[in-house]
Parts: sequence; structure tokens; C-alpha cells
Amino acid sequence: MALTQLADEDLMQLVRRGDAAAFEVVYERHATAAFSLAYRMTGKRSAAEDVVQESFLSIWRSGARYDRARGSVRTWVLGIVHNRAVDALRRSTVHDRRRASDEGLEERFEASDRTDVEAARREEAKEVRDALRTLPPDQSRVIELAFFGGFTHTEIAGMLDTPVGTVKGRMRLGMEKMRGHLGGLTEAIG
Amino acid sequence: MSPCERGTDVASYVLGSLPGEERASFERHLATCSACRRDVGELQVVADALPLAAEQVAPPPELKDRIMAVVRAEAPAAEPVPRRARAPWWRRINLRLTPLAAAAAAVLLLAIGAGGALLLSRSSATTVPAQARFASAPAARANLEVRDGRARLKVSEMPPPPAGKVYEVWLKPPAGAPAPTDALFSPTRDGSASVDVPGQVSSGDQVLVTAEPDGGSSAPTSEPVIISNPV
Repeated sequence: MALTQLADEDLMQLVRRGDAAAFEVVYERHATAAFSLAYRMTGKRSAAEDVVQESFLSIWRSGARYDRARGSVRTWVLGIVHNRAVDALRRSTVHDRRRASDEGLEERFEASDRTDVEAARREEAKEVRDALRTLPPDQSRVIELAFFGGFTHTEIAGMLDTPVGTVKGRMRLGMEKMRGHLGGLTEAIG
Repeated sequence: MSPCERGTDVASYVLGSLPGEERASFERHLATCSACRRDVGELQVVADALPLAAEQVAPPPELKDRIMAVVRAEAPAAEPVPRRARAPWWRRINLRLTPLAAAAAAVLLLAIGAGGALLLSRSSATTVPAQARFASAPAARANLEVRDGRARLKVSEMPPPPAGKVYEVWLKPPAGAPAPTDALFSPTRDGSASVDVPGQVSSGDQVLVTAEPDGGSSAPTSEPVIISNPV
């Protein structure tokens, strides 16, 4: 069977044994989502490239740490990218809060093997964006600052001049509402 | 919602925004509190979905080249890759040939011509010309670089797609309709683009590009603006 026909979880077993071709397929499937997340978080192409490179090399070198019982390969990959991007943001002397809109976006496409997978992902992405957009701004703001900005709730409280307890409460309310809005989608992703 | 007073930390925890010591303390608490564990499970799936809220942006092809160069250098030398376990057919034939027969075979191979040689030298990249058909941009150029069944489309002087549209790459088999790929792109401001064509290209396949509504189409809705020669 061609590698591109294998499920992510089976590819990871090959990656664990040092199969570079299997790793390449994993990269192609998730590179766009990974780069998009890193770019949204860092706001800079070069920083996003560094984050994605560090993340995928760590995946290559530590494929054994993937545990299918704890979720999909995609979620695992994006979790690694998220952590690396937060590290990069916290390392940088200027914690740049710009969104990823200050540079031209030359190309965009989502990498996957099949168009039905692709269409499903686009639909999922739209649902998540809609769910975030329908939140009251004070709730979506703290969620975005925490998840995409990599700020701690203490930092967010300082930035918004709001008590920490209020920030935590808005996060909680916003996340609960998103969960209700996303319904079955989150079960499919998880 | 958790009846536990630490339940207020659950959302901050799954969003990764609990400061260091609070995070460690909350994780110790999770080990003993089933209500908070359940809440974390429920909100973690929302946090896992959040990356989808980012606008999708393709990484540059050079990034993959850089990563794969490191990966290939680090891969075990005797990598047991099943699909490559068998030597290529011409190598197997050569093993059984006498020097004279091998020389004759070499002459025969030369006689097969450029097309045959192209198939044999699978590891070297070949360039396949493509026609760019932009009335507004006669200087536009395109070609395909093909290596080991993988193709990369390179364009220059290409105009941007019409408003609300995006260029979509299609793979057309010798006898059959163009199949959609998930490669959607817009050229840079200077009109250039370098796009990996998803999937494997086979002999005789053509790569096409059309302008499609944002998000792409499952069948072309406009005439191709780029048509490659058969691979």
C-alpha cells in the first residue's frame, strides 16, 4: 500500500522506526495547519518557519512519544507547534502582539491527501471561526490572548486592567459557549 | 461546571495560560479531583479545535526542503522501507549481464531516447514546459519540475487571480477529467509562485491551473490559464 494511503497513526509507527518517507507524508498532511497556527501566533513568516522546523524535527526525533490513546496525530502535532510558538513568544524580548496580517500572504492552500478530507476541514475551520466570533468580545479577547498570544492569565489581567478572577471567568464562559456551539465537531476532532 | 473551587482554573489550564507554579499545582490537584478532570476533558476538545480558527497559510516549499534534508541525513542508513526493498528493474537486469551484453544494453538504452532516459533517471529532476494563457500577461511563464513522481509548478509574471478567486491546481490523467488537488494559491506581488502538486504524477499526466471561487472547486469552472505538457 502506498504511504499516502496509510492513516496518520500507522505512519507514526514507521516514523518511530526512522522511516523518512513516512515522515514526509506526515509533514505534508499537517504542515499547512502547523504553519498557519505558528504564523497566527508569531505574526511573522520567518518566526513561523522556525517554529514549524523545530516542531517537526522534534516530532521526527521523538515519534515514540505519540500515544494514539490521547488523540489524533493532528492534535498532537498542533499541540507541539503551539508549545513551541509560546516558547518563541516568551523568548522574544518584545512580546509582539501583532496579528498575522502585516505581511502579504502569497499562497494559501491546505495540504491533505483527499478533497473530501479537505472539504471537511474547511467546514470545521469555518465552524470554529464562527464559534469564536459569536462570543462577546471580552470573552473572545481573553481566549485569543491566551491561546494565540501565549500570555498567562496574570499578564492578560495586567494588559486589560481587569482582576485575574474576571479574566478566568471570561475564559471559562467563552470556552463553555464555544463547546456548546461546536457540538459534535469537537468530538470528531478529539 | 465543576463543583470544585479549582474549577475556575480549568479554562485557563487548557488554554495554556496558567502561570508556571499555578499550572504545576493544578496538575497535582487534577490527580485527585475527578470533577476537574472531567471538565478539563470537556474543554480540552475546544482548545484542540482552536488552531482551526487561524487563517490557513501554506508554508514555503523551501521549509520542507530544509526539514527533509535534516531528516534524510538522520534516517538510519539501512532503512527498511518496504516499497524500496526491491532494486529497480534495470539494476536487476544488469546484475545478470556479461560486460559485453551490458555494453550492448547500454547502447540499446541510449537508443530508447530522451523519453526512456527520463524514466530511468528517476532521481534527477526534469523540467516539463507549460503554456501560460493570460491575455493580460503575455510575459507569464510556467513549467513543472518533476522528480520521483512529485511535481512542483513554478510560474513567473503571472497576474493575480480575479477578486474573490484563487488559482487551483488540477491533475489530468491521459484519458480522463481533471482531478482537483488541494493546492490553491495566489502568486506573489512580482507574479511568481512555486507550488507543490499534491500526490504522485504519472507518465502522460498534465497539470492544469484554473481560477476558481475562494475555497476551490471540485470541477473546473473556467478555462485553464496554465496547461503543462504531458509528464
